[in-house]
Amino acid sequence: MHLNSNLIFRDFAEGIFLLDETGKITTCNAAASAITGYQDIDITGKPLYAIGDGHDDPIKYRYELDQALKRRKFVAEGWKLRKDGTRYWAETSYSPVFDESEGLAGYCVLLRDITEQKNKQIGLLESEERYRLMVEAIRDYSIFMLDPEGNVVTWNEGGTFIHGYAESEILGRHFSVFYTAADLLDDKPQKKLQMARDNGSYREEGWRVKKDGSLFWANVVLTALFSDRNALIGYSKVTRDLTGRLKEEEILRQSEARYRSLVEQVGDYGIFMLDTKGRIISWNEGARRIKGYSAEDVIGKYFSIFYPEEDILNGKPGWELKVARATGKYEEEGWRLRKDGSRFWANVVITAVYDAEGRLSGFSKVTRDLTERKMSEQALQESSDKYRQLAQELSVANNELSSVNSELEQFTAIVSHDLKEPVRTVRSFLYLMDQHVDQQKFNLLKPSIGKGILAAQRMHELIDNLLHYSQISKSGLQRQKLDVEEVIGEAIQNLNDAIEQSDAQIRVDSGVPFIYGDRVQLVQLFQNLLANALKFTNGRKPEVELKSWMEDGRVRFVVEDNGIGISPENLEKIFEIFRRLHFASQYPGNGVGLAVCKKVVERHRGTIWAESEQGKGAAFHIMLPKI
Amino acid sequence: MKTFRLAIVENDEDERFFMSEALRASGEFQILGEFGNGDQLTEWLYASPKELPELILSDLNMPGKNGYDVIDELKTTHPDIAVFATSTSSVVSTREKCIRAGARDFIAKPDIFIVYDAFVAELYRLACRYLGT
Repeated sequence: MHLNSNLIFRDFAEGIFLLDETGKITTCNAAASAITGYQDIDITGKPLYAIGDGHDDPIKYRYELDQALKRRKFVAEGWKLRKDGTRYWAETSYSPVFDESEGLAGYCVLLRDITEQKNKQIGLLESEERYRLMVEAIRDYSIFMLDPEGNVVTWNEGGTFIHGYAESEILGRHFSVFYTAADLLDDKPQKKLQMARDNGSYREEGWRVKKDGSLFWANVVLTALFSDRNALIGYSKVTRDLTGRLKEEEILRQSEARYRSLVEQVGDYGIFMLDTKGRIISWNEGARRIKGYSAEDVIGKYFSIFYPEEDILNGKPGWELKVARATGKYEEEGWRLRKDGSRFWANVVITAVYDAEGRLSGFSKVTRDLTERKMSEQALQESSDKYRQLAQELSVANNELSSVNSELEQFTAIVSHDLKEPVRTVRSFLYLMDQHVDQQKFNLLKPSIGKGILAAQRMHELIDNLLHYSQISKSGLQRQKLDVEEVIGEAIQNLNDAIEQSDAQIRVDSGVPFIYGDRVQLVQLFQNLLANALKFTNGRKPEVELKSWMEDGRVRFVVEDNGIGISPENLEKIFEIFRRLHFASQYPGNGVGLAVCKKVVERHRGTIWAESEQGKGAAFHIMLPKI
Repeated sequence: MKTFRLAIVENDEDERFFMSEALRASGEFQILGEFGNGDQLTEWLYASPKELPELILSDLNMPGKNGYDVIDELKTTHPDIAVFATSTSSVVSTREKCIRAGARDFIAKPDIFIVYDAFVAELYRLACRYLGT
C-alpha cells in the first residue's frame, strides 16, 4: 500500500476541510466530522461559516480568506457550534492551496477543538483577575510591584490612600520617591532592594514620605520575586501606615516619660519604688538630694539602709511594709539616715502599689526632709518660750513697777496729807500768834505755842516712821537661817518694859524650829504684833499666845490676843500706813506698826491677815515660805 | 437767802473750831453737829436726830472711820445727804478719788486754818449749785 494524499487526508487525526477557491466546502475528513458532528455530504458546497457559531458572517469570512491568501496562513480562534448545538472552542487555521500554474486552487482548513486548553487558560485568568482585584481593592495596605530596577509596575488603592499617588502618577516611577531625603543620602532604597534580593525579603519600620511631602511611620515588607527559573523578576512591596499606632504609643511613651522625668526631677521629695521585698528599684533627684545616695548606690538594696540601727533591730522597716500592705498606706515622721550617716527628720509615706490584676507589685515611698522645718519649729518654740519668759519677766517687772508706783502714790498721799497737816498746823498757830501779838493778847500766846510745838513734834515722829517704813522696802534682805525661838525671844526682850507695865502673859509655842529670813525685820514683825496685843486692851490683863506650825510646806505663825478685837470692815484697813482706828488720846500710835508688818511679810514672800470676833480678841496670821 | 443744814466731821479740834466759826459767821449754814470722825457721825445718824443735815463737810484723814469711809457709808445709808470732802491735800488725784467714791465735790482746806472765809464762800457756791437755792 502506498502512502498517498488521499489516505493521509482520510486518516489524519486533525480535522481537515478542503475549500474551493470561493471558500465553499468540497470535502472534509473523518476527524473533522468527529469534531463538528457534520458528515461530509451535509456540508459540501456550503461556506465554512456554516459550521461556525450560528451567526453567518460572510464579510468576516471573506476577510479571513483574504488574510490567509495574503499571508499564506491565518489562524482564528472562537466558539463554534456542533451539529447537536453544543459549543466548543475552535482553532481554525487557513492555508491557501495553489495549482501548478500558481493559480489559487482552494483552501485547506485545519480545525482543532481546543476547548479544554481554553478552559484551563480562562480559569487561570479568572484567578489572576480575582487576586488583582483583591489587591487593588485593599485600602489598608499599599501593595505594589517593582521591576528588578525598583520601578513601580502595579499599584493599588491602598497605595493611593497611603502614599497619596494615583496609579497613573506613580506607575513607572522609581520607588525611592517614598523615601526621606536623609534615607536617599544613605542610598537606602538601593540597599533595601539588595537586602531583599539577598535574603528573600526585608522588613522594617521607618519614616516614609507621602506625595504631599508629609511623613508617615511605615511598616514595610519588601519581597524579592523570582521566576521558576530563579531569575529576579521584581519585588513586591507591602506598606502599612502605623502613624496612628505610633501616635498612641508615642503619647503613652511621652506620658510615661513625662511622669518619669517629673518624678525623677522632683527635688524636694524623695520618690522611689520598692519591690515587694523592699528592695529599691527606682530613684529620683529628691531622694538623691535628701539621702545623699546616687541611683547606682541604692538600686537593688533594701530600703532599711535609711533607718537608724535601733529601728533595724526592732524590725521597723519590715513592719512598715507590712502595715502598708495591710492598710494600703504607712505614714510617719521619724529620724532617717543619710549616706554620710547624719540624721534627718523625715516625713515618710509608703504606699502599696498593685498591678492591673490586683497583685502587689511593690511600694512607692515618698520621703520629705522636715529637718529644717522641725528646726525652725523648734527655734520658733524656743523663741516663743523665750518671749513667754521675757513676757513673764516683763510682767514681774511691771508688777514690781506698779507696786513701786503705788508705793510712790501712797508716798504722795502721805506727803500731801499726813506730813502737810502738822506743817499747816504749826503755820496756822504762828499766824494766830501773830494776830495775838498785833492785838496785844499776850495771854493767848502760850496755848498756841504749846499746840505749835506738839504739831512740830508730831511731824518729827511722822518723818521718822516714814523713813523707817521706807527703809524696810529699800534695804536688801539679809536672808539667813534663824532660830525661831531666838527671834521671838528678842522681840519679847525689846518689849520688856511694856510687858512688865501691863503684867502681860505671853505664851510661845513654836512648832517650827528654824526659818530663813532677815533677822532684824522678823524681830520687828513679831515686836510690832506683840506690842499691838499689849496696847489694844480693854483694861484687862493681856494674854498673848504665839504659835507656829508647818502647813502645806509653809510656816504659819499666829499671834492671838484677848484684846478689843477688830470689827470686820476694818480687818484690811488696819494694814494701811498711817491708818488709825482710834484717837491718839485713847490708844496712842502713829499708824505705821501694821503697815511695817505687812511690808516685812511681803518682802519674805508671805501673806499676813487678821481674824477677829468682836470682843474676843484678835489673831494675826502669817504664812511664810520655809526657805 | 438759803441756809444749808450742815454737819462737820473733822478730827483736829483747832481746825474744827476755826472751820465752824467761819461757817457760822457767814450765816449761810446751820451747823447741826460737829464730829471727830466717821464713827461719831454714824453714831449720831443712827440715833435718828430730829433734823438731818442736807450736807456733810468731812475731812479725809481721820482715825477710825475716815472721810472715805463716811462717803462710802452714807452712799447707802443716807444717799440724800451730799458729802463734801475736804483735806490739806491739793493733789488732783485726791479730788478724783473722792468724787469716784461718791462725794459730791472736794474743796481743799485753806493754807492756814485761821482764814476760812474763802473756803466757806466756795462751799456755799457749790452747795447752791448741787442742792439748789
